This record gives sequence, C-alpha cells and structure tokens, in this order.
Amino acid sequence: MHYTFKWSVLWSGQSGHWLLQGLVTTLELSALAWILAVALGILSGALRTVPFRPLRWAATFYVEFFRNVPLLVWMFFWYFAVPPLLPRPAQDWLFNHGAEFWAGTIALGVYHGARMSEVIRSGIGAIPRTQFEASVAIGLTTFQAYRMVILPVALRLIVPPGTNESLNLLKNSSVALTISVAELTFQTRQIETYTAKAIEALTAGTLIYLVLCVSIATVMARVERHYAIPGLIARVGPAA
Amino acid sequence: MRTLSVLLTLAVALTATPALAQDTLEKIKSSGTLTIGTRTGSPPFAYVNKNNEWVGFSIDLVEQLVKPEVEKAVGKSVKVEKKESAPATRIPLLTSNAVDLIAETMTDTPQRRETVDFSLTFFYTGAQFLVKKGSAIHGVNDIAGKRIASQQGSTNAKIIREKYPQAQLREFPDQPAAFQALAQGQVDAYTNDGIQLAGLKAKSPKPDEWEIVGDFYSEEPYGMAMRKGDARFKAAVDAGLKKGFESGKYFEIYDKWFGPKGEVPYPLTPQVKAYLLKQIGK
Repeated sequence: MHYTFKWSVLWSGQSGHWLLQGLVTTLELSALAWILAVALGILSGALRTVPFRPLRWAATFYVEFFRNVPLLVWMFFWYFAVPPLLPRPAQDWLFNHGAEFWAGTIALGVYHGARMSEVIRSGIGAIPRTQFEASVAIGLTTFQAYRMVILPVALRLIVPPGTNESLNLLKNSSVALTISVAELTFQTRQIETYTAKAIEALTAGTLIYLVLCVSIATVMARVERHYAIPGLIARVGPAA
Repeated sequence: MRTLSVLLTLAVALTATPALAQDTLEKIKSSGTLTIGTRTGSPPFAYVNKNNEWVGFSIDLVEQLVKPEVEKAVGKSVKVEKKESAPATRIPLLTSNAVDLIAETMTDTPQRRETVDFSLTFFYTGAQFLVKKGSAIHGVNDIAGKRIASQQGSTNAKIIREKYPQAQLREFPDQPAAFQALAQGQVDAYTNDGIQLAGLKAKSPKPDEWEIVGDFYSEEPYGMAMRKGDARFKAAVDAGLKKGFESGKYFEIYDKWFGPKGEVPYPLTPQVKAYLLKQIGK
C-alpha cells in the first residue's frame, strides 16, 4: 500500500497548459470581481456613514443581505436563478457567451463588496469626526468632503484589512468551479482526472495560490508604506 | 523563504504519512469497520431514498457479497460504514485511508489503475445523452456547437473534450447541478453513463419529459476501487463478487434494482451478462 509520487504529471502532457489556463481564468475572474467589490464597497461603506438615513438603510441592507448568505448560494443564484428572468433569446446568447464566468464574477464581486464595505466603513469610522466638520466648515459639500478628505484618508487606513479581504476574494474565486468556471482549482482537478495523481495536482494548485497571495501581500505592503501619512498612520517596518 | 520551505516539508510529510499505514484487512480487524466511499445522489447505485435511507445496488453488493468475505478474512464480524465520495475526492479518500473501498459508479480505467486497484467489474455501461424530448441531439454526432453538461472528473467529460472539441463543454461538480442546468436550458444535453441517466430520469419529477439518446460512445466498466498493492484485501473483495456471480446472488441483487420492478429498469443484456461472467472464466 504505497502512494508513489510522480511529479512529472505536472509538466508532461497538457497539465502545464491547463494550469496556466486555470491561472489566467482565476486572475481574470478575481480582478474583475475585485474591481466590482471595491466599487461597491467604497460606495456602500461611505453611504453607511453619511448623515442621511434612507441611504444608510439602503447600504446596510445591501451589506447584511449579501454577506450573510454563503458564497456558494450566490454562485447558484446568479447562474441558475437570474437568467430565467431574461427573455429566452437573451438567455441563449448568454449561455453561449460565458454566462458561467460572468455569473461567477458578479457573485464574487457583490459578495465581497458587502464585506469590503465593512472594511471601508471601519476606516471612515477611524477618522475623527472633526475632520468632516472642518471640511464642511471650509465650504465643501458632503460629497466633496467624502471625495477629497474622508475617503483618501480612509483608503490609506484600510490597506491591511483591505489586502486581507482581497486575498480572500482571490481564494474564494475557486468556488466558481461549482458553476463550471474552469479556474485554477478546476484545472488541478482535471489533472487529477487525467492522471489519477491527486496529491501532485493539489500541491501544484496550492503552491500557485500561495505564490499569488504572497506576491499580492508584498505589493500591498509597499503600497501601504508609500501612501502612509506621517503622524496619522503608524510607521510600517523599521524606521527609514 | 525559510518559512516557506518548512511549510512545504510539513505539507509533504502530512500527505505522505498515510503510505505508512497498515494493510486494509488489519485496519478493518482492529476497527471492526469496513469504511466505503459511495454516493448520495447516484440512483440506483447509491443514493438517499424517500425514507431517508442510504441505499443502492453498489451498497447491497458490499453488504451482501463483499462483507461476508471480508469477515471471513479477518475472522470476526464487521460493520459497513458509508462516507460520501465524489469523482474528485474518491482517490484522495482512498489514499488518505479515510475509506477502504470505493463502491459507486467509478469506471475502471488504465490511468486510474496506476494509482488504485480495481475489483472485478460489477457493472457495464457506456456514455449517452439525456435531452428534453424532441431535442435535435440524437447522439454524439449532433453535439457540435451545442452546450453539453458533464460531471467534473468523469471519463465522459474527457472524451468530449478530446474527441469532440466543437461541443461547448460545461462541467458541474455533481449530477443535481448538471440536471438543473439541463432543465433550465443552460445546456442542451447532459452526458453521462447511460445507466446514470436512466437513474436520473426515473427520479426526476416528470420522467416523460426526458429522453436518453445515442449509442454508447465510450465503454464504462464499473469496479470497486481500493488502495494499490493490497493483494489480500483485493482477493477478499474479488472473492465476494465472484461468489455472487457463481451463486446467482449477484443477479438477484441486480434484479432488485434494475429489474422490471426495480428502482431503475435497465435489463441485463446477454452481451453484458457474458462480459461479467467471462471475468470468472465462464
């Protein structure tokens, strides 16, 4: 009873090609979903702090509704439940043009948008109320105060938790395989199907995720240092 | 970088440990349990029925044919414990020692034989298509440009991808998701082994709406899988099946599930019967 490792399955045959394809799909899916998540997160995170109750309610509803339902359910929701609401020709067109990928992107983006929203709200919450009051006092409108004062500071504050959330998004993109999106995890399973070498395939997938996440974290740490506001945000790393 | 190499060593150590475990019969003897990996949604091989019982043809084969031989080999009575397995998880379940035997709808292929051992073939089928009645798809030659659902990790998906690249292949992790996609029109057909489609059709709310079409475009002999190189355990499993073929018990069980009154009527053709019996030299 021995498991014989055969690492060559990872570069023989089509495995390398599949892994690369999976990696590209994972990156495309994650990047698009991330843009959506950040946009929704900033919008709803900011709205949850504005001095206008109906907007706060709408944003709170979005956050609580989307973050409290499992991502897997959202995948099925956007893929199985939404298309039937469209006219039949539109459905057919969508199904022939990567409906899986777009359903996965929206599911991932909207779900993580709700989570990102909380990160941004906490960033805004960390800014002293007097900053907002001072902004209004010098004649800015609420929108201008958010755009020019509050958000630029809040976004700097939330780089560490935001990175965390972004890495989660990247890893959660693997859930899209349940609706037939051929991303990285899907491709590692495919290698397993062809070669029956599960441990090798999973190891390859794990390493790629690890390298991706570590690289993103490194880049974000640099971003954090670069944009840190002296005196407001504690210095990162050793003194320069 | 050092942390990374430590982690890697650890990961490899963790995954490699099971290779050191004792042989399967010893494991069954000490635990008193034969653990099988099987399905919850593949009627009639293994599924959860209306009374919420986990039953099926492959489970009966284990309980009635394999279990007595395993008991004989370990010299005491054992109980059968079932765990959920899926195409993507069944080999890892075996190699990690989480289960001892995969008894479901696993096709015996040369690639898989490099990693696991297979018992005698206990069922023989081939890939076909499930479509809405009146569909333009009548077989594998009509699928160009069509959206075809399959199960991730199945041999059918592999054949479609390699031999029929004009088809748009969609792969779902399980049968319910693939069927849902077919029912809603995300795909035009669902391909799987004929018997699985027959089971799915029989279990669907309106069986008359569906049609199974096409000749077998692949050969799918089902075997029970076990860890590689465990000759004693394999001998016990094969002996159980062989006795079943010889005594006719196998055919009784077959009839219970696939006979005219069975869960999924799928009569044993003379060719298939001859194929099964040829394995034991008859």
